[in-house]
Amino acid sequence: MAGVLFMETLRRSWRQILYWGLALAILGYYAMAVVPDVDALQQYAALLDTIPSFLLQMFGAEDLTALTTPEGFVAFGYYTYALLVLMVYAVLVGMSITANEEDAGILDVLLSLPIPRWRVIMERFAAYTLITIGIVAVGFIGLLAGTQATALEIDIGRLLIGSINLLPPVLMLIAFAACMATTARRRSLAVTVTTSFIIASYFIDFLGKAASHALTDTLSRFSFFTYFDSQGVMIDGLNPANVALLLIVTVVLLAAALWFFERRDIGT
Amino acid sequence: MAIIETENLSKVYTTGDGAVRALDNLNLSVQQGEIFGYLGPNGAGKTTTIRLFLDLIRPTTGRATIFGLDAQADSVALHRRIGFLPGELNLWRNLTGQEVVNFVGRVRGGYDAAYVRRLVERLQLDLKLRVRAYSSGNRRKLGLLVALMNQPELLILDEPTNGLDPLMQQTFNDLMREAQREGRTVFLSSHVLSEVQAICDRVAVLRAGRLQAVERISDLTRAEFRWVTVRLRDTDTARLDTALAAVPGVSDVTVNGDTIRLRLGGDFDPLLRALSDCYVVDLHVREPSLEEIFLTFYGDRTD
Repeated sequence: MAGVLFMETLRRSWRQILYWGLALAILGYYAMAVVPDVDALQQYAALLDTIPSFLLQMFGAEDLTALTTPEGFVAFGYYTYALLVLMVYAVLVGMSITANEEDAGILDVLLSLPIPRWRVIMERFAAYTLITIGIVAVGFIGLLAGTQATALEIDIGRLLIGSINLLPPVLMLIAFAACMATTARRRSLAVTVTTSFIIASYFIDFLGKAASHALTDTLSRFSFFTYFDSQGVMIDGLNPANVALLLIVTVVLLAAALWFFERRDIGT
Repeated sequence: MAIIETENLSKVYTTGDGAVRALDNLNLSVQQGEIFGYLGPNGAGKTTTIRLFLDLIRPTTGRATIFGLDAQADSVALHRRIGFLPGELNLWRNLTGQEVVNFVGRVRGGYDAAYVRRLVERLQLDLKLRVRAYSSGNRRKLGLLVALMNQPELLILDEPTNGLDPLMQQTFNDLMREAQREGRTVFLSSHVLSEVQAICDRVAVLRAGRLQAVERISDLTRAEFRWVTVRLRDTDTARLDTALAAVPGVSDVTVNGDTIRLRLGGDFDPLLRALSDCYVVDLHVREPSLEEIFLTFYGDRTD
């Protein structure tokens, strides 16, 4: 029956909203609570100015002028690290779509039921999308609570947009992990490839910003971090082109996962 | 009416060491309402065949049809009509037995709760436990329950009695006969010959991916040889041993005091003539077990 796997995945995994969401909420509250006043922010930026730029970029501080604004500071203190947390979640969830059950031999039972293979991927991906939204929403609540702990005026609309901006890269990573799992067949290999992809993307992005060179600039276009751009979103708002690109890549990866999963042997 | 039909069904696995032909041009037909045994040692290709039937793996060549539908192209429609128990049963460890039943029921569009309750009683299963707490036998029973709960038209069971105690094996046999009485078809694989002998109508023997024979159980047990035990009085059995070995159809002659045991493959008359000068106290004829027939198939027809 349509939607059974979607509902079952929600039923079994809704607690993840609490666990991961709480982690983000604590991070968000902390990031908001430690935002200093404007003068302190400027002193802080001056201090950071003495640090080599590649070191700052390694830790996600892209634009020092952005750090002098509360929104820029929150982007650095929360969204960069929230994405790191959610990347771990994305890899784990990506494996839950098919790889965990295939490794455990459970997929034989599931696929002997009247469920087409594509529905296993699509319904679970849809359920995890909803769960991811829930996690980001709980994290946003943490940010909102944090606004009560700071004297600074922070645009709540920007905080909301910054939180929404977390979704495209995380969904893309879930799709990437699911695609690797359906292609590589072995869970360990899929985890290794996905983790390598994340690390490579990070360094490509970092190199692209740290060293201004035509090659690194070109390479950085292949990193999803480039399109995440949390500080740019907090200062200039959501970039529809970046969001669209990440979502298109997500759809392509899902289509590839479906294609491979439909055509291959299970559990061999 | 054929429920399962295969046509030159083959499966080759490609591994790092090269290609392994797990199933080689299988041509098989299983009729409606029969309990069909699929026999073979480990690695013979039984599970590969079953996984091909369920579209878990794809054939290298050939095809399988079930209820006249293609096992690959119409797999979802077929799975509505098939109950499956895998050989190595793994289920969601954190779910209770009841949650597994409910989930499978929802996927299948519902189930008859009263029928499931009756099955649970007969299988003596506690559905409140989590799967991880089940013993291997109880997990097997849960797998059987899941396969049977929607009263499917076709049951495909891979080594179904693995881990079941003898009493539960009897219950399993009863359940299979009931399914057969209701016109349903059972395809079960096994390497335990006695269980196949107990319930199956026909049996296919598979070895190294090749079908060796398909026979009715009754025909197989009326096979080409019998074990004959003769107790004699006042006879030089040592001398007779040599004489009997020369009788057409007689082999494996063993002498133990006054008793001679031999394997007879053919008519009785030459043996009776060879014994005509002896005083026969007792003569016992035993049909070969399926295992012995099985070994004969392997010994005589392969390699």
